[in-house]
Amino acid sequence: MSLTARHLEANGIPTVVMGCARDIVEHAGVARFFFNDFPLGNSCGKPRDLESQRGLIEMALDLLEAARAPRTTVQSPYRWAEDSTWKEDFYRLDLTPEQIAKAREEFDTQKAILKAKLESPRG
Amino acid sequence: MEVAHAYVAAYSHRRKGSARLSDPTLRQYIDRRVEVALNVQQAGETIEAELDLPIRYIDRSRAYYLALGYDNPYRWAHNQEVPFVALSRPLADSRVGLITTAAPFKPDAGDQGPWAPYNASAKFTEVYSMPIKSLPDLRIAHLGYDRKHTSAEDINSYFPLQRLKEAAAAGRMGELNSRFYAVPSLRSQRLTTERDAPEILDMCREDGIDAAILVAT
Repeated sequence: MSLTARHLEANGIPTVVMGCARDIVEHAGVARFFFNDFPLGNSCGKPRDLESQRGLIEMALDLLEAARAPRTTVQSPYRWAEDSTWKEDFYRLDLTPEQIAKAREEFDTQKAILKAKLESPRG
Repeated sequence: MEVAHAYVAAYSHRRKGSARLSDPTLRQYIDRRVEVALNVQQAGETIEAELDLPIRYIDRSRAYYLALGYDNPYRWAHNQEVPFVALSRPLADSRVGLITTAAPFKPDAGDQGPWAPYNASAKFTEVYSMPIKSLPDLRIAHLGYDRKHTSAEDINSYFPLQRLKEAAAAGRMGELNSRFYAVPSLRSQRLTTERDAPEILDMCREDGIDAAILVAT
């Protein structure tokens, strides 16, 4: 998504990227990044929570107007949970050999599905 | 030596039972990460949780796929130069476009419901656009979101069309464009840069878009 934002920006269309993966978006480099420190999949707010959803859109629009230079990141004030233990779980490494084997099999299967889709004329 | 390369090198050396790297700090860092990656007894070293830092997804995904035994970690896009343009008119007079990576629900493409496992069959492979008049049924089962903490049951948490419509109705922007756009997520920076982003730009120009909101998942 960052690459698309960069392309638009380079061609005269101002952009704001909303996202949860700060390192990935900033590594790619975008003009305006509204960073929401939630689990991936919640860039625009908590499920069924109007307050965070409205607030985040409002602040992303503010950023669109206010930024004066590229790589402007604004971090959302919302918290996913009171503690931050959810951050322990993504890509956990304490896997058993069985879990590793299963994860590999799943990864290879999904990769093959994508490859086949890309090779077929209709996707 | 670049850490990433050293890391891969150290990993394969370690597996062969020999590791020789000169920089002691780097050596120590790599040893620790590889140990975590290989040691099934030890929990992941998630300093982010302890200190409430943003998760380092690049670092974690590298360690994860190395732990699975793949030796060619994904290289995330990296740029030094970043383009920037200011709004050409006030937001209250601007036409705003919404851009997503979410996919239209496909009944024949397997589980795409709440808590669905990663589902490559549900991916779309070409740029598309749809009218915003009614709320489309878009899903993210084809993307790598946090499946332990995210159900993806509320479209508004990843596709903010309703919230943007409300903002437009309140006069926060001139108007929300009558269609939104979607970019495929295919793990190919070449396809995105050379094929898909130019198509999105063409559609934005056709519609007279003044600014765009892009939601990453």
